[in-house]
Amino acid sequence: MADSPIIAARALIKRYGKLEAVKGIDFAVERARCIGLLGPNGAGKTTTMRMVMGLATVSAGELTVFGVPVQKMDRQTKAKIGLVPQENSLDPDITVSENLAVYGRYYGLSAAVIAEQVPRLLAFMQLQGRASARVIQLSGGMKRRLVIARALIGDPELLILDEPTTGLDPQARVMIWKQLMELKKQGKTLLLTTHYMDEAQRLCDRIIVIDHGEILDEGTPGQLIARHVKGHVFEVQKPLPNGMADGSWDQEDIGDAILYYVQSPPDILNELPDDAVYLHRPANLEDVFLRLTGRKLRET
Amino acid sequence: MSLVPRGATYTTAVTWRQYLVWRKLLWSSLATNIANPILFLFAFGFGLGRFIDSIDGMTYLAFVVPGMIAYSAMFSASFETTIGSFSRYYMHRTWDATLATPVTLVELLLGEVVWAAVKSLLSALSVLAIGWVWGGIPSVSGALLALPVVFVASIGFACYGLVATSLARGYEFFSYFFTFWVTPMFVFSGVFFSIERFPPGVQVISWLLPMTHLIAVIRPLSAGLPLDPGWTLLHLGYLVALTVVAFLFAYAKIRRRIFD
Repeated sequence: MADSPIIAARALIKRYGKLEAVKGIDFAVERARCIGLLGPNGAGKTTTMRMVMGLATVSAGELTVFGVPVQKMDRQTKAKIGLVPQENSLDPDITVSENLAVYGRYYGLSAAVIAEQVPRLLAFMQLQGRASARVIQLSGGMKRRLVIARALIGDPELLILDEPTTGLDPQARVMIWKQLMELKKQGKTLLLTTHYMDEAQRLCDRIIVIDHGEILDEGTPGQLIARHVKGHVFEVQKPLPNGMADGSWDQEDIGDAILYYVQSPPDILNELPDDAVYLHRPANLEDVFLRLTGRKLRET
Repeated sequence: MSLVPRGATYTTAVTWRQYLVWRKLLWSSLATNIANPILFLFAFGFGLGRFIDSIDGMTYLAFVVPGMIAYSAMFSASFETTIGSFSRYYMHRTWDATLATPVTLVELLLGEVVWAAVKSLLSALSVLAIGWVWGGIPSVSGALLALPVVFVASIGFACYGLVATSLARGYEFFSYFFTFWVTPMFVFSGVFFSIERFPPGVQVISWLLPMTHLIAVIRPLSAGLPLDPGWTLLHLGYLVALTVVAFLFAYAKIRRRIFD
């Protein structure tokens, strides 16, 4: 069992009526890894996470968590999972420590364990001194940190994070990243969705790009960049200088400019006329994401 | 996910959460619990009571106080599992977050229901206390004996509210629930006059409503009049049966809505 993955999906399908939200995906999440689930809104990320949590039934295919099929997930297995939902869903009227204590009870912890865990988690998320503050008095960043602390109350082995840092200031994001890395070092497994490519690049050992309910590709951030956008991007403004329009380059038309993807800068620099208006930067995960999922706006 | 609750501790955990939130709003809750019955008893005691000497062998005040006890318990539970539960389920997504923990849906719903019944009991208790001070409780021991019955019936009232929540897509939906369920019980269950005044066809409607059965049991108790054991069992049986049916319906419906 040592090598068996924490989460394993095979031909996993989720239908809502006639709509197929997840269309037969295969993936695995190994122990003590951080796996990122990336995709535009409506891609099937949250549905996939809900199935892992047992919050959505599986329509077809297989999904096991800790080796147990999710349909048969018992209380002991459920207690090994912590969730940071997209919406905070904190109780605004009661205090910070009461919010944690309530969840401690949901995880079946004794009063003594709760009394010990609460200050430890508040310190871990730098909320010490806020124990008796009401949740309405907290800033957005503090609320988010509290939700992460809440997810950790049962000392879970698997932590599921649905957009953990959306809407937070850079200080709060950096702080949360640091603590998530620490959790991974402690041997916890992380499954994460995010719309921030820098976050995915920093935290994730492996990234799964999903869109319209299907997996488009997966790999380490470095592998994905090398595979889809080489290493460097030259964004050349239109109108293009003479000699640039031919199709021998790996290129993408984005409207008022053309993106050229090259392994190393000299590959294209020698060919660029002096009067070309361009921007050169290293390729990143955002380029991969946009290239794989397209540039059209999603209305879902 | 079996229907039989394996861990009562998980149910009480949900109830405890409701209690913690309620504790912060204690004063507004107490104020409404005390002010409401005073207003109603003022209207019925001073207003209507002046015109009626006795009804079904008791003073009008002794008649109306148990009716008010039942109504306030019914209203309290109905409000808690409709507006209250729907906010937690749909608006604040509290249920989603709770169901991500080892707490099961049955335990979550039972926790909601038990808490609603506890709140009903508090409402009933405050009407009882004020009714007693007013002189509307001839038998205090009988009235105290009525409280467990009020609690059992309130579990039911909470479950009927949960049925509405299981069907609701927005807060507007609850106006149907209050107009076609809560208000009819106020009118047809014999809160402030005997249902025998209704034509027989209307009396059938009265006996379909659970609050009629609750009042039929607690009114003789608080008035110190004898209870017919056979009828009492029938009233209680009807209350329990309807409660079970409502809970199972709400559970099945909510389960489908959340998990599918």
